[in-house]
Amino acid sequence: MSGPNEDNNTQLASHFFGDLLDSIIVDVASECHRIAKLGLDRNLEEEEEEMRLSVQARARVADPSNSSETNTKYVVDIFGQTHPSVATEIFECMNCGRSIAAGRFAPHLEKCMGKGRKARLKVTRSSTAAQNRYSRGSPVSTYSPYSNSTSTNRLSNGTPSVAGEEYSNGTYEEPWNKT
Amino acid sequence: MCLRSSSYTSPKPCKHLADYKLRHAFNGYDSLQNCIKTTPIGRTRVDNHNTKIPRCNFCNGYQGRLYICLMCSSISCSIHILLHTQTKSGHDVAIDIERSELYCCLCCDQVYDPDFDKVVVSEQIKGSCPGRSNKRRRLDSGMELDLKKSKQLIAMRDGRAKSCYPLGLRGLNNLGNTCFMNSVLQALLHAPPLRNYFLSDHHNRDECKRRYGEKLCLLCDIGALVSAMFSGDRSPYSPAQFLYSWWQHSSNLASYEEQDAHEFFISVLDGIHEKESKVRNSSKDDGDCQCIAHRAFSGLLRSDVTCTTCGFTSTTYDPCVDISLNLDTVNSFAAAKTGLSTLSGCLNLFTRAERLGSDSKLHCQNCQELRDTSKQLSISRLPLVLCLHIKRFEHSLIRKISRKIDQYLQFPFALDMTPYLSSSIVRSRFGNRIFAFECENSDSSAEYEIFAVIAHSGMLESGHYVTYLHVNNQWYKCDDAWICEVDEGIVRASQCYMLFYVQKLLYYKANKDLSCNVSVESR
Repeated sequence: MSGPNEDNNTQLASHFFGDLLDSIIVDVASECHRIAKLGLDRNLEEEEEEMRLSVQARARVADPSNSSETNTKYVVDIFGQTHPSVATEIFECMNCGRSIAAGRFAPHLEKCMGKGRKARLKVTRSSTAAQNRYSRGSPVSTYSPYSNSTSTNRLSNGTPSVAGEEYSNGTYEEPWNKT
Repeated sequence: MCLRSSSYTSPKPCKHLADYKLRHAFNGYDSLQNCIKTTPIGRTRVDNHNTKIPRCNFCNGYQGRLYICLMCSSISCSIHILLHTQTKSGHDVAIDIERSELYCCLCCDQVYDPDFDKVVVSEQIKGSCPGRSNKRRRLDSGMELDLKKSKQLIAMRDGRAKSCYPLGLRGLNNLGNTCFMNSVLQALLHAPPLRNYFLSDHHNRDECKRRYGEKLCLLCDIGALVSAMFSGDRSPYSPAQFLYSWWQHSSNLASYEEQDAHEFFISVLDGIHEKESKVRNSSKDDGDCQCIAHRAFSGLLRSDVTCTTCGFTSTTYDPCVDISLNLDTVNSFAAAKTGLSTLSGCLNLFTRAERLGSDSKLHCQNCQELRDTSKQLSISRLPLVLCLHIKRFEHSLIRKISRKIDQYLQFPFALDMTPYLSSSIVRSRFGNRIFAFECENSDSSAEYEIFAVIAHSGMLESGHYVTYLHVNNQWYKCDDAWICEVDEGIVRASQCYMLFYVQKLLYYKANKDLSCNVSVESR
């Protein structure tokens, strides 16, 4: 059977816990009181308004009955013009002088200048970027303490040259590292 | 609209506090000065050497809140503090022992006094860091480009004719997977300092050719681009010369393949800086560089590393041209409340004090040993144009692959950066005391207005960039060659990747200058 000592200890323990908890609660109250009295918590209304507008906007966009913006893509732009999906303007390549269509200019220039995957050494983009930065004494900093520029940390555009992995929208069990 | 000269207000003292100060000035504060003790990270308490455990004079209790009287140093608990002031006339003001906060016994409320806070902070600083450096960066706003003084914005303009769209709106042809470039160019060309710089012909192309005779100059090409965009010609422009120039400059990025807009952004600013420092023949560091890229985008970040044992803090400063933010995902406490990731959540995460792991102990100058540390970032000097980059990628530790985070991020159109300034962060570290900390910088405003959003849709390895521009009170979507008007709700709901804000004052100036015809938009 439990002796009076054990009851006493439990009581004491919860007593101290209660004291500590009270102290912490008063800490928070005191800090908030100070912040409020000194006017350090302004702009709450503006922040709430911005939040409200964002939530409202998302709801409207998600609503299928609303004509989505992609419907306007793209018959006529605001100047009354229409454009093909691949730009057709023709101009001269400044490297070789050939006439090239705008929408095909980049791939042409790549070969023309001897750049591109096949042309350059197989190095990751990030390490050459870092090398270039240091060798030029590049002053535009990427503040190393919290940037983590690996070649994977990039949002790319355009079509991939290799079939990329499809990610499902399901939950993952593996740990993801924030970079 | 008025500028705050300080980010806090000193509240009016209550009658009793005012009386006390009139009669006793700083006597009470001074006598207690030596008793104020600060733990390295945490609270400041009043440690009266006389008693081991502080107890209430009346009931001998030691629990709850205890107050020490400023007049007679006697200690009372919260129940009996009123009794103390009733029995001893004039003993109206006391201090909360645990928290070093002033308490008015007659008002029964916590009160605040800058002079008392000054004493507390002096003790806190003295206690934690002997001989801190007081480097104070001078603010160079570089705002005075060739602009006339702006007047107040007036009248609404209605009945806008099709021909009357603001200058500078023009589509950019996609030259083959170059939407990453087009999206950044649209944002840059509409950044008021850059736009004005090039429109005012600060980099004169003829003179550049004459003096340097170089075939390729990134600045000349940007200048040509700006002229083309503002020429009034509305047919989409092909930035081919610019692409050629840029590939010469950043040969490691020169390839026809998927690219990242943020990487391109950094690369362009780097190119501008390089060229301009060659021109000016200067080699100043980023903090004082006067090239247009740095004048517009350069800010200063402050990093405080604190020893968790003794409280000694070492501070370093790093210039930056943008801020990359991690998403405050639903895994974080703040987002969990509303289920929504917000920009302020990301900025809070960025400026949060972070305990570095015990496997990364640092050498503390004070302790002369390896210690656990806590690191905190803050913004010491804000730029004219603030570029916020959202890191929308995760890296799997197991599979060694990355994926994009599509999570929606709420962002405001009007942004107040005050809570993330070094002055605010440092002040909150000292309990938000009323004190002019060395990093106080009231020269510039911390209020910003958004003017461009770069949004990304699609996957990590393939996707599409568009830019939303806010010009003359209207939002436009710039999707390569296509310029369309969109409702602001579309922008708010978009998946932002890079956000461009400009200081509020500049924003109003810019809108005034850009209006076509004579009428201007109201805001």
